Formats: sequence, structure tokens, C-alpha cells
Amino acid sequence: MRTRAAGGGWRGVIVPGWVACALWVLLCAAAPGAAAAATPAEIFSRANDAYEAEKYEEAASGYARILNYGLLDPRVYYNLGNCYFKLGRLGAAILNYERALKLNPSDRETRDNIDLARGQIRDRVAETEVQYPIRALKRMLDAITFNAMTFAFLVFYQAAGGLVVVMLLARAAPRRRALGYGALAAGLCAALLAGALAYKVHDAATPLAIVMQDKADVRSGPAEDNTVLFTVHEGTIVEVHNHLEGWYQVSLPNALSGWIPEVAVEKV
Amino acid sequence: MMDLRARFPGSMAVLLALAAGAALADDAVVRAFLDRTEISAGEEITLSIEIAALSLDQAAPPDISRLEGFDVITGPSVSSRFQWINGRTSASRTYSYVLRPDGTGTLTIPALGVLVQGRTYRTRPITLTVNPPGTIRSPYAPPPVAGPQPGRSIPPSTPAPGTGRAAGAGADVRVRVEADARTVYVGQQVTVRFLLDTQTDILNLALKDNPTFPGFWAEEIKLPENLDMKRVQIGADSFVEYTLMKRALFPTSPGQQTIPPVTYQVQVRRRSSDPIESFFFTPTETVTRRSDPIAITVLPLPAESRPPGFSGAVGSFNVSLAADRTEARVNDAIGVKFRITGEGNLNAVTASPLPELNDFKQFAPKVNASTSLQADRFRGEKVWDYVLIPLAAGTQTIPPVAFTFFDPVARAYRTVRSEPVSIQVARGEGGVGPSLPSVSQSDVRLLRRDVHYLKLARGGLEDWSRPFHTSPVFMALILLPVVADLGAALYARRRDASTASTRLRRERRARRVARKRLNEARRRMSPATARAFYAAVAQALTGYVGDKFDASGAGLTHQRIEELLAAHGAPEEKRSAFHRCLEACDYARFAPSSSGPDEMRKALAAAEETLVGLERTLSA
Repeated sequence: MRTRAAGGGWRGVIVPGWVACALWVLLCAAAPGAAAAATPAEIFSRANDAYEAEKYEEAASGYARILNYGLLDPRVYYNLGNCYFKLGRLGAAILNYERALKLNPSDRETRDNIDLARGQIRDRVAETEVQYPIRALKRMLDAITFNAMTFAFLVFYQAAGGLVVVMLLARAAPRRRALGYGALAAGLCAALLAGALAYKVHDAATPLAIVMQDKADVRSGPAEDNTVLFTVHEGTIVEVHNHLEGWYQVSLPNALSGWIPEVAVEKV
Repeated sequence: MMDLRARFPGSMAVLLALAAGAALADDAVVRAFLDRTEISAGEEITLSIEIAALSLDQAAPPDISRLEGFDVITGPSVSSRFQWINGRTSASRTYSYVLRPDGTGTLTIPALGVLVQGRTYRTRPITLTVNPPGTIRSPYAPPPVAGPQPGRSIPPSTPAPGTGRAAGAGADVRVRVEADARTVYVGQQVTVRFLLDTQTDILNLALKDNPTFPGFWAEEIKLPENLDMKRVQIGADSFVEYTLMKRALFPTSPGQQTIPPVTYQVQVRRRSSDPIESFFFTPTETVTRRSDPIAITVLPLPAESRPPGFSGAVGSFNVSLAADRTEARVNDAIGVKFRITGEGNLNAVTASPLPELNDFKQFAPKVNASTSLQADRFRGEKVWDYVLIPLAAGTQTIPPVAFTFFDPVARAYRTVRSEPVSIQVARGEGGVGPSLPSVSQSDVRLLRRDVHYLKLARGGLEDWSRPFHTSPVFMALILLPVVADLGAALYARRRDASTASTRLRRERRARRVARKRLNEARRRMSPATARAFYAAVAQALTGYVGDKFDASGAGLTHQRIEELLAAHGAPEEKRSAFHRCLEACDYARFAPSSSGPDEMRKALAAAEETLVGLERTLSA
């Protein structure tokens, strides 16, 4: 009886809420010429103008609105990062640059800006040195967009598939052999490109978080009574491994790791 | 001592004194006394500390570090005395210090420690009253010193009226400091004069220690060989005033700065009541005089209005730019002088004022700086000597060169500019066609870093959160070749399977057909039907090959049969047997009369044998 009554009450609350939502949507749609009716492109150009006029707060709120629409364009994140950089909020700037990079890892300017912003934060974390050929390969892979890589992979993959079809249908043995080699070569290229694409996907999917507080303690376990292992400051990028009751297990590129309160960081 | 005497009477004391040694040194007596206990400010007193003991071998000078509020003028001077009275030895040593109190009022000379034979003895504190200047006459007269000491010559001054006082002329001498400004900007000049006012003759004077001016950059202003003298009236008294020292001071940091006191020792003529002394000697007295410290308020240069090209100079300056010629050829050297002159300190100006010029090659300048004084104001001149080499022909202009400084009078930053200088540059020697100047290249340097500019996204915004490789179309494109390959493989297999079965059927049929044809030949085995017999045998042979190898029977020549057999691995003797049979049949078909029943039977047997043999070899 009691549960039913509670259920009824719940529904009673929900319906007016739903109605209110619908009304709000209607009102928004019906308000002609209001600022809310602006298209994302308009908001974007207005925010750009505000940035130009050094009104960074205003510009930042404009970019944030576009993102709230669900239009996740890396360029908007990038511009938002620029606003926060100019406002001196390095943590928020790095967060937005990283978000832009996650969507479009090939953008050189975003990487430059991250480097610049990271050069101004308190923490300096020595990253493990990568050998030259691997470093060059990484840079090359980073410079290629997701879609270009996907396209190249598809070309070779489809070519390999097509050659196999032709080979299977051919009757004469020498022709079949030539087609077989061709299919093998195309298949190898496709496999390499698939590996590169997988690397990029994996790289972009690495769960990162940015420290947003001036100073945050990293502890040995997910509770306040654990030992403080080290302290990180605003803007430091950490890799997230686990999540447990309001705490993240994070690690730094130099292999230091520990638990940090959820509120101290923001996931990319 | 009293204790000793009381304890050991008579001759025992002698023995004891001789055997005394260190144990008896306990009884040292230390006392301190002043020559006077009441003086006027500026006068000196003598502090004597007497140590009396049986042996003074291990007596250290007194520790006067606790003596505060006094300047130690001289000392210690040491006098020792050794006595042997009634077989009893005693030694005493006196350390004397000449002191000058810093202030007035009641001062105390604290208990001073003296280390004798490893034990510390303390003197009694002494109280001293210092009266304001000129209130009492000092009964103390130092011993006269014969003749003036060498030093700066002082023009003899007639004693001013009212100086006819007997002794203690020191009271009529004072040293003071005058600064021309008490509130200045950083880098602005303060002229400080150290003055001596006196009412008596000054025989000699010396600085007690070199003056230092912390917080200032000090430049000495040279004084004339003979000190300037002038009469001044201070209150009711008339003084003769000498300028002892002048300094141009430039504050280096803002805030309250102090010009520290300066101490002079002045030797003055003392009037003596002894006519012989006054006649034969010059009775003198050395007094120490100290100036009062002066506080200077140093204002910082206004930061908010500071122009970007501010040079750091404070004062008032003019600039000029002059070239040694106005006509030159390409690659000739032109000397250009940039000169800054004016009142103020130019030492802080170090940057080369001439900017990099496009059409001139520029060498590092030679810099000459000089300073001068004009009416006690410090003037600076700095000249940059440039060598410019024009790189292109035509009228080249050295643009106006700006110099920005702070003007403390106007309390504002000012910028002065030189006149632009035009130079007519003609082509260099051999300059046919466009001249190719030798350009000195330099690396492009990053001056400052900033974030890259906004992304403008002119083509509109798009949602990048779902890249193509996550779309269903991509998955479909991945699966497409797999499906196509599988389909092709299935198709090819089915096709091959059907081909193989046709072949097998034909092969099986080949044997059956050949046997049927041979049976037919056997039925016609009579001379009347010899032609048909041989045709059937030949057809059995060729038809077998055709059926077996999936070739049409019509086009089968001997050569083609040979090829097919060879390709399918029939051995040589089988092939030749086959051909012999076939040839025999062909021959008999065209000459049937020549063959009898025996030949026919033989040919049939040979054909059967050949076919069986072939069948066996080809099936194996």
C-alpha cells in the first residue's frame, strides 16, 4: 500500500516537471529574436568578437553555450581554452585544450598551446624520454587526423578485399598468383594502418584528468586518513585508472601514483 | 691585600710574596675612574682603568665592548708601575681611553670586565653628567702640541667677535650637513655639503673615517684648493663657515634614506693664560665633531605612466644625431654620432639607442661617457659612435632616435627625439645593374610567447565527437570485403566442383566409349568391312584421348594427341605404341586390300593393349 502511494506521488511530481519542460521548450522556440534563439555559428562569431575585445569571460560563456548544445567541435574547446588562458585560469585552459585534442589529436596549435600553458603551471613532471625514431613516428601519427587515417585504411583494406575476390574467381594459375601477391601487399598496408588507427584511438581514449584546485594532496588510498604521497597543483595532467567512492586513482607520467579526491580534478 | 696582611703578620709576608705565584693573584684590584664627572656636550673625558696585582704577567686589557653612548677617540694608552716597598712587591697598570659622549644628560659607564690570571674582575659603574654645549667651562686642558700638523691649508681667520673666551674653544666649533633637497625621486641628484662653523682658528682637521652613503650612488664634487670661507650668523653668534666636502648623491632605491653622520677631528688654537706658552708655542686642542644624520625621502618613479622605452635616466637631457657626411656610396662607412647631454646621471643608460636599420649594416657602437659639474649640478654626456654601411643606393634616412627620461622638475616622463638625417647613397664601384649588397643575416628570434590565435571555423561548426571510424558505415565497409571474399570463395569452389565432376564423367565415359567402339570394330572384323573396322579402331583411339582430356575429337591431330599425352604424363613407349596403332589404322583404311583377317585381329589386339596400358598409366 505504502509503496503504491509513494509511486503515485512520484508520478505526480514527474508529470508537472515534464509539462514544465515542454512549456519551457515551447517558450524558447516561440521567443523570436531573443538572444537564446541564436544559432551556434552566431554565438561562435559573437564569442570571437568578445575575445577580440578582450572580454574573455563573455567569450568563454559563449563557447560554453555552444558546447552545451552538444556541438562538440574541437575548435570551440580550443577557443574556450584560449579564453581561460587569457584569464589566467591555467587548469581550465589545459582541460579545454586536452578536450580539443581528444576530438582532433592532429592539431598542431592545440599542442603548442598546451605546451605553453603547461610551461606556466607550478608542477613540472619529467616525462620519460622517448627514443628518436619512435618519437618521430608518434609525431607523424599525431599529425594525421582520425578521418584521414580511417580513409587510408579503408582504401587499402577494400583493395585487398577486391583483389582476393578477383583472385578467387580467376582460373589461370599465374594470374591467380599475381593477384594473390597484390592482395597480400594491400592487406599488409591495411594492417599497418589499422594498427596506427588503433594507436590513435587508444591514445585519445586514455582517460586523463586535469587538477583544477590550486593544490591537491595525492594520498596512498581513497580516504582522508591515508598518507599524503605527494601534492599536485592546478593544471597538472594526470592519468585516471580507477574510481572509488569519490576518489580517483591517478598517475603522473613519471610513474608516481595515488588517490586524489574527485572534486580536485576534472576529467577530460 | 687587607685579608692577606691580617692573616699573615710580619716576615711571613715576604716569604709568601716570594712564593706567591698564581695562587695569590686572586687579590688583584681593578678600578675605573674618570678625570671629570661633569662635562659639556662635545667635550672629551679620559677613562682610566687601573689594575693592581702582585703580578701582571697575565692581565688582559679591559673589555670595553659594553661601553655604549661614547665614541672612543683614542686609546688605550697603557702605563705600568712596579713597586718594591718594604720587601713587598706590587704592580699596577693603567689603561686610558679618551671618550666623547654621544648625547647629553646623565650617562653611565657600565661595569667593565678585566681578565687577570684567568679571573674576571669588574669595575664599579661610573655616572657622568653631560651638560648641553657651552654651559660649563671645562677645567681640563690637554697638553699643548707644538706646531700645526700637515694637512689641508686653512686660511687664517680672524676670530669672530664673542670668541674671546678663555679655554674650551671646542664648544665654538661645529660640523653640520646641508642637503639641497629632502624629498627627491630615485636617481635625482641631492647635493650634500659638509660645513664647519667655527669661532676660533682652525689649525688642522681630518676626517675620522671615510664617509659612506648607503642607498646612494655618490659622486665627489671637487673643492678649490683653499677652502671657501664665509661669515654666517647663527642665532646671536657669528661664525666663520668652511665647506669641507661636497657630494652629489643619487638615491638608488625608494624609501626613507639616511645620510649618516660624519666625524671630523679638528685641531683648534687654544688661548692660553701662560704668556710664555702663547709666545713660544701654539697651544692647540683637538676636538671631535660629528654631524647630525639627515633623512631623505626618496620617491619611486611613477610606474603607471612609465613609457615602454624608458631609458632609466632621471634629469633633463637633449639628444642630437650627426653623421660625418651626407653623401656616400654603397658599402662606404659612415660615422654617426648619437649624443645625449644634460643634467643628470647617465650611468644607468646602457642600451644602444639607434634601432636596427633596414638599409644599413650596423656595427657595435663605441660608447664614451663623461661627466662634469656645473654649479654643483652633475651633468652627464654619453656619445655612441656608430659605423653604418649603406647597403642600398638612393636617399636613405636615419629616422629620429628617441630618448625617454624622467624629468623630476616636471614630475613626468619626457621623450626627446633627434632630427632625422638623410644620406644620399650612390651606387658602389662596378655597380652595373641592381647592386647586390652583402646582407648580414641573423637568426629570427622568438621575443615573447603567447597562445595561438582563435580558431575561426569559417566553414561552420560540426560535431566531431563521432569520428568516421565509429560510424556504422565504417563497420559496413569493414565487413563488405569479408562478405565479398566469402561469396567469391563459395562460388569458385562450386564452380570448380562442377568442372571436376564433368571431367570425371567424361573420363569414365572415355573408357566405356572406347570399349564400345572396339566391340563394334570386332563385329566388322572381316575383309569386306575392313575400311569400317579400321575407322572404328582409329575412332576408339582418338575418341579416348579426346574424352579423357576434355578436348573435342574433331580437331585432334597426331601432334595435338602427342601434346595432350605428354602433358598428362604418358611414358614414351606408350605414346609411340599409340601412334603406331593409329598410323597402322590410317594406313589400312586407305589400302584395305593389303590387310587380311590376321592383320585385323593383330591391330585390334594392339589397340586394346595400348588403351589398357594408357588407362593404367593415366589413372595411376
